[in-house]
Amino acid sequence: MTNSAISVLLVDDDEMIRECVAAYLDDEGFTVHAAGSGEAGLEKVASLRPLVCISDMRLPGMNGEEFIVKAHVLSPATAFILHTGMLYSLSDELCSLGMKDDDVLLKPIHDLSRLVGKIWNLAASGRAI
Amino acid sequence: MLSKYVDACCKSEPHYRMLVENSCDIMFLLDADGCFTFVSGAWKTALGHDPGDVLGHSLHEFIHPEDLSRIETAQLTAIRTGSTQEIVARVHHAGGSWRWLTLRGAPHVDEDGVLTLIGIAQDVTERLRIEEIMAQSEKMIMVSGLAAGMAHEINNPLGAILQHAQNIERRVSADIPANLKAAAEVGVDLELVRAYLQKRGIFDFIGHIRNAGVRASDIISNMLQFSRRGDAGAEYVDLSALLDGMLELAGTDYDMKKKYNYSGIELRREYAADLPPVQMVVAELEQVLLNILKNAAQAMAAAAMGRPPRIIIRTRLLEGMVVVEVEDNGPGMDEATRLRVFEPFFTTKEVGVGTGLGLSVAYAIVTKGHRGAIEVHSSPGVGSCFSVMLPLQGRA
Repeated sequence: MTNSAISVLLVDDDEMIRECVAAYLDDEGFTVHAAGSGEAGLEKVASLRPLVCISDMRLPGMNGEEFIVKAHVLSPATAFILHTGMLYSLSDELCSLGMKDDDVLLKPIHDLSRLVGKIWNLAASGRAI
Repeated sequence: MLSKYVDACCKSEPHYRMLVENSCDIMFLLDADGCFTFVSGAWKTALGHDPGDVLGHSLHEFIHPEDLSRIETAQLTAIRTGSTQEIVARVHHAGGSWRWLTLRGAPHVDEDGVLTLIGIAQDVTERLRIEEIMAQSEKMIMVSGLAAGMAHEINNPLGAILQHAQNIERRVSADIPANLKAAAEVGVDLELVRAYLQKRGIFDFIGHIRNAGVRASDIISNMLQFSRRGDAGAEYVDLSALLDGMLELAGTDYDMKKKYNYSGIELRREYAADLPPVQMVVAELEQVLLNILKNAAQAMAAAAMGRPPRIIIRTRLLEGMVVVEVEDNGPGMDEATRLRVFEPFFTTKEVGVGTGLGLSVAYAIVTKGHRGAIEVHSSPGVGSCFSVMLPLQGRA
């Protein structure tokens, strides 16, 4: 699978974070989309069915956890990464969707190649949660 | 009438004796020179001295040197003004330690003009300790909340700094087709651009931005420990084995080896033999104990005490808790310092040597992560002793 065949949706209310992560993933050749809230994210998940979705935890409106649970219903094949600034252990609900501890990445990611590696792993394993 | 009075008095004499001898408050009498003429049984219970070692001796012999002048002032004031004076001071325990006592004294002059100071004292060591823990934890909750909130807010801008520095590096790389295309469009040779950036040290600057960001991010991730809830990963561990491993690990630490002369420190292990396994997150407890050990080694290396440096690592059971004590014979610290050692960003070290986060992270790990307690006792010139207490019934 080439990177351009991997569509990635970024959900973060901080434009700065969307911009810098998107720039990196864009340079890597991924097809990148972004949304600034869980609600906007759900619309994009429904229409784009991304292979991978990277979501912030603290979002205005619904939080990252609620977003993932709802997005999973809309697009069961999408794999999720939680990108959060808080120490966080996965809720039982997210675990039951198949998410693992290493699907949680703590902000700030020092080296974005780590995120790329994570995306590849999820895409390659076809881990549709 | 008189006989009735004498009768009552004789009857009440045993009552008074019973009251004085069995009261859990210490009662004592001092003569005009401040020497004991009487001490009640509670003195021995609280302080361990036999009455024979006390009677005839001056109260001052039992008082901590730092508290002596306050005691003297209180005694003089009581005698001069005829009033009751109260003071909290450290009194020597026969076992060698100091106990905090509330001492209350009032002068009494009998019909022959003989002056006596009537005293009552209570051991308030435990009460003060609990008050200190409460105050400490309240302060930590406040400061920690602030630190954690700040840490969270700083993560995104820090992420942008780190990641955009990385983006800049990549956008001048010849490996990405979009870069070559854009260069061609504006008519520059990317290789020449790279050569220029190299020659002017700009790649190094970008590298420095990333390194500085990583350093800041490490501080932030330490601060986030304050907002943690107890999380998974705890296991039952043989504490003695963990301590042995930790002491060995310390020997491989660069600072410990090179700066603090770790191999020159005598390590005395006084492990309790009958300790049950204790529930903990191993890596975290190692971090806590290494931090305490490192501080001890650093303090001893910084101050020449004229005696061989020594650290005692002691374990024992105390009221449902397992206690690990790390006791050094370094310079110790004064009371003002001791009360602040767990505060985030409080440091006595030079800028760049310590961030002042080590012990506050230790505090968070022990109290929040493990439902334990951490305390420090210290005497300037004698040394410091950190105690980490973990509940036997585990963290849940």
